[in-house]
Amino acid sequence: MMRRSVLLATLALSLGLICLAAPRQALAQDARAFVGALGAQAIQVLGPSVPPAQRVARFRALFRDDFDVPNIGRFVLGRYWRVATPQEQEEFLTLFQEYIVRAYSARLGEYGGEPFRVTGARPTGEETVVTSEIVRPGGSPIQVDWYLDNRAGRYKITDVYVAGVSMKVTQRDEFAAVIQRNGGRIEGLLALLRQKLAAS
Amino acid sequence: MRACHLRLTLTAAFAAALAVAGCAVPGAPGASLGASLGATQSAALDDSFNDPLEETNRAIFAFNQAVDQAVLIPVAKTYRTVLPPPVRQSVHDFLQNLNGPVIFGNDLLQGRFGLAADTLGRLAINTTLGIGGMFDVATPIGIPHHSNDLGVTLATWGFAEGPYVVVPVLGSSNPRDLIGKIGDSFADPGDYVAAQHNLLWASLARAAVSGIDVRSRNIENLADIEKTALDYYATIRSLYRQRRATQIRHERSTLPNPTPVQGSDGGPLPGISYRFANTPQLREVSAK
Repeated sequence: MMRRSVLLATLALSLGLICLAAPRQALAQDARAFVGALGAQAIQVLGPSVPPAQRVARFRALFRDDFDVPNIGRFVLGRYWRVATPQEQEEFLTLFQEYIVRAYSARLGEYGGEPFRVTGARPTGEETVVTSEIVRPGGSPIQVDWYLDNRAGRYKITDVYVAGVSMKVTQRDEFAAVIQRNGGRIEGLLALLRQKLAAS
Repeated sequence: MRACHLRLTLTAAFAAALAVAGCAVPGAPGASLGASLGATQSAALDDSFNDPLEETNRAIFAFNQAVDQAVLIPVAKTYRTVLPPPVRQSVHDFLQNLNGPVIFGNDLLQGRFGLAADTLGRLAINTTLGIGGMFDVATPIGIPHHSNDLGVTLATWGFAEGPYVVVPVLGSSNPRDLIGKIGDSFADPGDYVAAQHNLLWASLARAAVSGIDVRSRNIENLADIEKTALDYYATIRSLYRQRRATQIRHERSTLPNPTPVQGSDGGPLPGISYRFANTPQLREVSAK
């Protein structure tokens, strides 16, 4: 009798574990598929045949749809987010979004639509990391890791690591340096962003 | 003999510079600075980026950019125009092979015997079948290149990095990476042989060609970043520090370095340590 209940308990437990594990596994699969689809889309958006203006427009749509823009924006403003006025926060989010779109569509200018390959996925905390690589003919592959959040019921990218370097952290460090050099004023960063966007 | 002497003088100069740098930063970075500075600055110290020498660093960074524009970029562009891709690839492979012994030594010092075996295998195969290292035949047969250097070794042994510094011509670094660079150059068999035979020019030529090789592979990447950056200095500083942290983290854990860098680190310019051209060790990734 005793033994049987132990057996049942074990069975129940392992079933429970399987049930817990299954969605996690499925999640990783979905995440892989999401990044794979994104890669295929990116090749079309950023390929060498796309004219620059169209490139920016397409990248803007992609960034808005597939990236967690509000949370990335809050992160890159760092501790200054809390001291910013609501108006500053709002203006920052608008400027930041457009800045990222312009900067990255230019920085990815060298990307010639090379094959993009998903190499793995694993959960980290609340998020899922999908590892991938861009294979370049005659060169070594570039490793790109995608951090995905699924809280809103669909995947949103929260960060991208290129060759082990976080794009979100790099942006936060740069913005913080600009604010610091403007005497800790967020307006200094906003002014520079406005200026940069007007010039490009 | 003269070459040896010069190296010693250089080392002494570096050591002196490091001592000065070290004095400026006792214990916690900016701790003593914070006390003497006003409210705005002490708030700024919260995210000081480990850069107490920032004003000096920015001045050297500006100088490096001028050298880059005036000399390195034109030379790198000419190099790219004059030599066809296969020749440049061979130069790259040859230089990478020359770094093999130092990478091997650091693999051993970090107790990473599997990686050390890879490095030794690559050296043996590329030096023989690859005709003196001119062709990287080890990568296609499944032994990809990985980087390693004494800066990473010192970090895994627990040495602190010290403050971020920008070195004239060499670019982003810190005392730990600088000491590593000097140590690596002393341990390098090629440099050692050159010093023994009074062939300082050979070591200098190798360093120069390495610099041109690296720069020629990054002209567009860096130009795009510079053009779009709000603060190029801050961006390069962030990239360098993150990049090194990633390399060290991967050496500490037994994870493979996901994106090894050719050469030891740094390179002759600010930001050259930030390379898109990397070789992930997929073999180890998939084995994990």
